[in-house]
Amino acid sequence: MEQQREMTYAEALAELESILGGFESGKADIDTLAAQVARATELIKFCRQRLGKVESDVKEAMKVEANANK
Amino acid sequence: MGAKIGIFFCTFALMSNEKYITLSQLLTNIRQTLAQAFPLGVWISAEIGSMNVNRYSGHCYMELIEKSSEGGSTTPQARVQAAVWRSRWGLLSGHFASATGMPLAEGMKVLLKVSVNFHEAYGLSLVVNDIDPTYTLGERAAQRQQTIEQLRADGVFDLNKALELPTIVQRIAIVSSATAAGLQDFMRHIEASTWQFYPTLYEATMQGSTAEESIVAALGRVAESDEEYDAVVVIRGGGSQSDLECFNSYDLSANLAQFPLPIITGIGHDRDESVADLVAHTALKTPTAVADFLVERISGFMGEAEYTYEAILTATNALLTGHTQRLERNAALISSGSQSLLRRIDVRLEGATQRLAAATTRLIDTHQARLSRIEAQVEGNNPRRILALGFAVVRAGGKALTNTEGIAVGDSLDITLADGTATANVTNISKQGE
Repeated sequence: MEQQREMTYAEALAELESILGGFESGKADIDTLAAQVARATELIKFCRQRLGKVESDVKEAMKVEANANK
Repeated sequence: MGAKIGIFFCTFALMSNEKYITLSQLLTNIRQTLAQAFPLGVWISAEIGSMNVNRYSGHCYMELIEKSSEGGSTTPQARVQAAVWRSRWGLLSGHFASATGMPLAEGMKVLLKVSVNFHEAYGLSLVVNDIDPTYTLGERAAQRQQTIEQLRADGVFDLNKALELPTIVQRIAIVSSATAAGLQDFMRHIEASTWQFYPTLYEATMQGSTAEESIVAALGRVAESDEEYDAVVVIRGGGSQSDLECFNSYDLSANLAQFPLPIITGIGHDRDESVADLVAHTALKTPTAVADFLVERISGFMGEAEYTYEAILTATNALLTGHTQRLERNAALISSGSQSLLRRIDVRLEGATQRLAAATTRLIDTHQARLSRIEAQVEGNNPRRILALGFAVVRAGGKALTNTEGIAVGDSLDITLADGTATANVTNISKQGE
C-alpha cells in the first residue's frame, strides 16, 4: 500500500497496459492469472480514485475562480 | 461842427455891433446854438472810459472816450462827461444786460442816443437817453472774431486741444479767486467724490480790468512747476452776469492755448463761448461741471476696469469649468472603458474557465472510458468467471495442462472447478483430428 501511494497515475496505467498485454498474447499463466487480475483490479481502483480526486479538485478550483471574478 | 459854431459866433458878433460880449452871453449863445443844432438828440458811438452810479442820487455818471484808431497812443482823441438819470438808468442798464449778457462796464464800446447839454457854469455834458445793445454785441463779436483769427494765424489756436488729458486727473492746479463761490462749489464736489484729488489754488483776480493780467500771472506761476500737475482748471464765481471780456482777450487766450498742461475751463457763459473756452482743452459751463467731469472720468475708468476684471474672471472660470468638465468626462470614459475592458476580459476568462472545465471533464471521461475498457478486459480474464462458465483447470502433478502431451492412461489428474477440486484417472487419450 505504501508503494501504491507513491505511484503515479501514468505508472499505474502503464502497469495495467502491461498486464492486459500479457492477457492479449494468450500466454498468461493460469496460476498467476488470478493474482494478475487482482492486481489489475487494484490498479483500476487506484486510477479511478485518482481521476475522481482530480475531477473534484478541478471543480473546486473552478468554483473559487468563479467567485473571485464576481 | 466846430467850424459851424465858429461861423455862428462871427455872425452874432457882427450883428451885436458891440466890441465884446460877456462870458455868460457867450456861453448862453453856445447853449442856444447847441440846442438848435441837436434838437432831437443824436446817436453816437463811444467807449466807456469810466463809470460810476451815485449811491444817493441813483444817477449814473460816465466818461465817454474815443481812442485813436492808429493805436499806440493811450490818450483818447475825444473825451466827454455823460450822465444817465436815475429814471432811465434802471431801464437802460437792465435792458442792456439782458440783451448782451453782461452789464455796462468800463472799456465797453457802446452806441448811445444822447442829447447835448451845455450849462454856462458846468460846461458840456451829454445826457444818455437810450442805449443800443446790438452795437456792443456786434462790436464784441467782431473783436472776438479778430482775436480768434489772430490766434489761428499765430498757429496756437489748437495747441492746448492737442495735449492729451490723462484719464486720471488728480493733481489739479486751480486758477481762481480764493473767495469765488465757484471755487467752493468745485472743492465741495471733488471732496464729496469717492476719489482722491490733490488741488492747489493759484489765486487770481477773475473779473475787472486787472483780471487778464492777474490770470496770466497765475498761469505763469503754475508753469514753473507744471510737472506737479495733470491739468489746470480755470474757474470763476457763479451766477452773476459780470464781465467776461478778459476771457476774450488775445493775451489771456494765447497764454491758455500755449500752456504746457491741458486747460479745463469753468468760467460760465450765457451765449457764445469765450475765446478762452474755444482754445481750452475742455470747456465746461460751471465749476461744478468741471468737478463732475473729473470725477466721472475716474469713475468711468474704474467702471471699465471693473468690467474688464469681471470679464477676465468670467472667461477664466469658463475655461476652468471647461477643462474640469473635460477631465470629468475623461475620467468617466476611463472608468467605463476600463470596466467594459474588464468585462470583456471577464467574459474571456469565463469562456476559458468553461473550456477548461469542459476539457478537464472530457479528459477525465476519456480516462474513465479507458479504465472501463481495461476493467472489462481484466474481468474477461478473471479465472473465477471462466470457471463459472463451465471451464476447468486440469493439473498433473500440480502443473496446469494445456494439451495432452505427457499424459498417459492411468495418470491421476486434479480437476479444478468453480467451487472445488476433483481427482480423476485417465482412462483414454484421444487427440483431435484422430
